[in-house]
Amino acid sequence: MATALEQYVTMVQNLSASGNLTQLCDFINKSTDMLTKNASHLDNVFGTLDMQQTSLGVLGVLCVKYNLPLSNTSDIDTLLVQTTEFLSKCNGEQVRYATDSYAELCHKYAQTLIDRKMYSSGIAPLSQAIQKIQIHPAQLTSIHANLCQLCLLSKNLKPALRFLDIDITEISREGGRFDAKDYLLHYYYGGMIYTALKNYDRALYYFEVVVTTPSVAVSHIMMEAYKKFILVSLILHGKIINLPQYTSQVLKRYIRPLCQPYLDLASVYAQNNLADLRTTLTKHTEVFNRDNNMGLVKQCQTSMIKKNIQRLTKTFLTLSLTDMANRVQLSGPKEAENYVLHMIEDGEIFATINQKDGMVRFHDNPEKYSSPNMLLELDKEMQRCIQLDSKLREMDREITVNPQYVQKSTGSHEDDMPGTSTGPGKIQAY
Amino acid sequence: MAAVAQTDYAQLGNDLEREELENGATPGSIRLYCQLLAVYLLQNDMCNAKLLWKRIPPTVKQTSPELTNIWVVGQKMWLRDYAGIYEALQKEWSEEVKMIMGAVQESVRERALRLVRLAYSSISTDDLAQFLGVSGEKAVQVAQREGWQVDEQSRIITPKKIEPVPAPAILSEQHLSVLTDYVTFMEN
Repeated sequence: MATALEQYVTMVQNLSASGNLTQLCDFINKSTDMLTKNASHLDNVFGTLDMQQTSLGVLGVLCVKYNLPLSNTSDIDTLLVQTTEFLSKCNGEQVRYATDSYAELCHKYAQTLIDRKMYSSGIAPLSQAIQKIQIHPAQLTSIHANLCQLCLLSKNLKPALRFLDIDITEISREGGRFDAKDYLLHYYYGGMIYTALKNYDRALYYFEVVVTTPSVAVSHIMMEAYKKFILVSLILHGKIINLPQYTSQVLKRYIRPLCQPYLDLASVYAQNNLADLRTTLTKHTEVFNRDNNMGLVKQCQTSMIKKNIQRLTKTFLTLSLTDMANRVQLSGPKEAENYVLHMIEDGEIFATINQKDGMVRFHDNPEKYSSPNMLLELDKEMQRCIQLDSKLREMDREITVNPQYVQKSTGSHEDDMPGTSTGPGKIQAY
Repeated sequence: MAAVAQTDYAQLGNDLEREELENGATPGSIRLYCQLLAVYLLQNDMCNAKLLWKRIPPTVKQTSPELTNIWVVGQKMWLRDYAGIYEALQKEWSEEVKMIMGAVQESVRERALRLVRLAYSSISTDDLAQFLGVSGEKAVQVAQREGWQVDEQSRIITPKKIEPVPAPAILSEQHLSVLTDYVTFMEN
């Protein structure tokens, strides 16, 4: 028995030293059964192999260990420590040959931590893990979702922003097995993180990505994201913003009917009546609570008051605080003053309060769009557009030279293969 | 001088965040949580302050009344209840957070003053005093120092608006080259 393990160690060392990593991956994949049979000696192998020099060999051992039925807590502790150490010390160049096992290791590691409620200890190792396996920072890995989940569970959201603030342009293949679930979860969790930090603009974008992912089946992640999409959209824009044309039919046909309370809320919101909104809210309290969306629903209420105040600025130049309180259905001039004050502080309206006569005076936006600062802002936006354009061209070029695409797009003219006309046609429609 | 201290606190915040992550699942020291919470308050980063308070283990919260005191300030700041903020700030802070909490008070006061200037064309002395957390006479002094009009009889203060600072101009040559880039981009 032990000789098989010794052979494993020698093979790993030799192949790693000679740089024959593709062959090594094959060998390790074939050795899984052998390693599982020798489970009791795996810690010895782990100790013998060098994490830097023979990262792939260690990775193989750890993956097998996670599949063992470990019941002893101290065994699991050891495994967690070993994984943490491995993730910080392993050689990125080497493990990139086995992105699938590497991602699997990270998933299992995260899941084990979640099972044991040790959320925060996984944040630093997984951040490192992502940076090691990424080819460039704009590449999405399936580990992103794990990191976001741990951040949410431990209520420590800042570490995830480093990854979320970068716009994704590429998805890591991970042995051709990238799961749609990881993609959806990354954007769903990301949206939740931005929502918690009150960066609603970005949150809305993240939820929109989930909701508009091409699909043919109903996904629960998509449904929950749609609910939050509605709420954030109400808070930010006061209505449900239009989704792009390419949104999957699944959303309209199957998901929308399942979100009726939220759609009710949105239609009541459109009538700008606070009392009606409160009634709807009470009617669906149970649903909102069950979905854990009550906090956001309540913010919709505040947002409606603010939107109503903003609407007043279009009709009036000056308005007394008492009048405002009546029109917006607030308790009195003091509450109205508070709302106006908060909104001025947040730059949501332009107004001045005159306490002497209890009046509010509304102003136009003082921005004249002629200052050098505005030019600078414009400049930044232009640069982003230029970058986006070049990125799109690059992706387009990649698709046109993709053998599969070429085969399909030319093949459809010659023989009528079913499905070929819809495949590439869809991509162009984007 | 103020700028130097500001960056120091930002650095301190980053260091503390890293320290917290390195601790992993074991709870950090009381000092760490107190200082980090205070730094978030100073940065007026209420979301992160609230999240930090939520994730601090209950055992740590029970052993440190100071931590609770800092969070009381945070709660008032969340509600933008100025009178409450100043009241909550009136505590004997320990050496570890004394400096930061002092800076918090300064920054709150500065922000309040800026807000009054922006939002009010006239304000009663009492309300200004509440915004600044000082007595009525002191508020009048502050207003006079800012060059605002004070009507002693009606106790109404008229804040003066500030003219926006003109932004630095961009070099015309640089400007020209940027514009050239745009035109070439548009034409393609």
